[in-house]
Amino acid sequence: MSAEPEHVALLEADTPDPPAEPQAAVRAEQLTKRYGTLAAVDHLDLVIPRGSIFGLIGPNGAGKSTTFAITASLLRPTSGRITVMGADPTVKPRTVRRRMGYMPDNLGVYDNLRVDEYLEFFAASYGIHRSEWSALVDGLLELVDLTVKRTAMVNSLSRGMKQRLSLARALVHDPELLVLDEPASGLDPRARVELRELLRSLNAMGKTIVISSHILAELEEMCTDVAIMEAGKLLAAGPPREILQQLGGARTVRVRFADGAAESFTVSDDEQQAALLRRLVVDDGRQVVEFVEESGGLEQLFMTLTEGIVQ
Amino acid sequence: MINPVLGRELRERMRTGRAFVVLGVFLALLILTVYLVYQGRETTGLIQVDLASQTQLGRELFEWVLFVMLVLVLFFVPGLTAGAIAGERERQTLLPLQVTLLRPRSILIGKVLAGMSFLVLLIVAAVPVTIVAYLLGGIRIIDGLKGLGAVCLVAVLLTTMIASLSTFTRRVQTATLLAYGFTALLVLIGPLLYLTLGVADRSTGTDLRNPPAVLLAVNPVAVVADVTAGVNLSGEGNPLRWASQSLVEARANNDDSWFAWFPPDDIGARFRLLDRDPGGFPAWAVGTIGLFVLAVAMAWLAVRRLRTPAEVER
Repeated sequence: MSAEPEHVALLEADTPDPPAEPQAAVRAEQLTKRYGTLAAVDHLDLVIPRGSIFGLIGPNGAGKSTTFAITASLLRPTSGRITVMGADPTVKPRTVRRRMGYMPDNLGVYDNLRVDEYLEFFAASYGIHRSEWSALVDGLLELVDLTVKRTAMVNSLSRGMKQRLSLARALVHDPELLVLDEPASGLDPRARVELRELLRSLNAMGKTIVISSHILAELEEMCTDVAIMEAGKLLAAGPPREILQQLGGARTVRVRFADGAAESFTVSDDEQQAALLRRLVVDDGRQVVEFVEESGGLEQLFMTLTEGIVQ
Repeated sequence: MINPVLGRELRERMRTGRAFVVLGVFLALLILTVYLVYQGRETTGLIQVDLASQTQLGRELFEWVLFVMLVLVLFFVPGLTAGAIAGERERQTLLPLQVTLLRPRSILIGKVLAGMSFLVLLIVAAVPVTIVAYLLGGIRIIDGLKGLGAVCLVAVLLTTMIASLSTFTRRVQTATLLAYGFTALLVLIGPLLYLTLGVADRSTGTDLRNPPAVLLAVNPVAVVADVTAGVNLSGEGNPLRWASQSLVEARANNDDSWFAWFPPDDIGARFRLLDRDPGGFPAWAVGTIGLFVLAVAMAWLAVRRLRTPAEVER
């Protein structure tokens, strides 16, 4: 979702036709992963556009991590098909690994290594020549703002720093796609903001970012597209606003007037929202100084779509 | 380029104090062995100025040091290697490793080489202790090298087996228990089977007491015993000599063959031919081949276990 205020977007002229579907970074077709009778991922059809920041949302046990593990070429699906940056991870796992950086939900780091040694180890594991390590480590540490910790032991880092170090590790081979499973879990607010800014920078560098998180407000601010899963099934996918529109879900608009009064209105779609603004300004002649759709759209979407099914 | 896992393991291992503690304990126990054997001979009045008794003492010291070294290797390898892969799983560092371009076999080889390097360091560090025996006489340099080589060989094969076993567990604690259980089994199963079959043979009253000798040969103790104690069976007893003597007896009871129990077909005949010519197939070779086959089989299973994409999450 754009960081642009809602009311500005609303007053813009008609938006042009959306571009043709960009080439997919990840495309899943009827992807299924079963453990006995349990379907962790159940006939998932999903397209993750290149260049997007894609949020995968769902309650615990929804199948997000399993989907990520299949995407990262760690797990073989029971049926269905998946391509990651054009390659099938079950057939060409190394091709996928060259093009993708994966950060699992658990923060596993080697405590007895220094920060630079840690990154050098992964550089070696990706076959990067020793002569390139130093410049590579410098660049990565600068990117994740850990330059001052270059020679610190990994076990001396805070959780937020370890999280950033893990992100640097996932970036060590300069992948086009980043798959981040709950990267913000356990981070304090400052660390979350820093991580969000970092992911935005990476996206601006042309990287596709796929992220899962329980913190919906955070995803709402950052993601261009989302997919909502529950019990292994895909409930909805696309830009959050479009999903809301498709669902016809009610939204709340907060209006503040020049006389200092403020009111909230419930509308169901963009048309109603525009009509409301017209009625207030044109028909009622009131001076509107602020017209904002209240945050919580993704949360509302999540609550509308999911039923709290536990597998 | 050096295997990245090996490089990291060595760096981590030598950075912690644990490596030096293990090295210290290893050397201290070997020195204690030399002291106790020497003291033991002194109190029994065996230490005399004549060359023969000094030579005998040198030989005894050497065999005891090698035996204790072997026991320590059998004790340290499970402790040092059990967490090779299980530790990665427990620390949750295996997944990031598996999504790199490292192949499963490279991960396992790196782990095995790291474990082996440390054990070889331990054994090399113990060379000065064995030199005490050499100075007293009774062994040649070649005997010393063969003995230490046999211990190294056992260490390498056992490290491969334990590191492979480590891929099948998620917790270091479970892996350690499994590793010690496996090592105990590896050392004891052959002799126990041999004794059991011997009792069974005797109870029938019609058969000779000749369980397959190979049951005793495929054993880490047998490999070291055959290399070190096989040349000289005189003097005071020690576990390596008892093991060596048992091997000789078992082979003699089996028509001088390790493979006498083989069915009388072509394969059996070929094995027996190999066994007898020239002068018999040595126990250490039989044991090494047996342990090598087991290590390779376990490593193959471990690599399969580490392979991704996997059918189930591990």
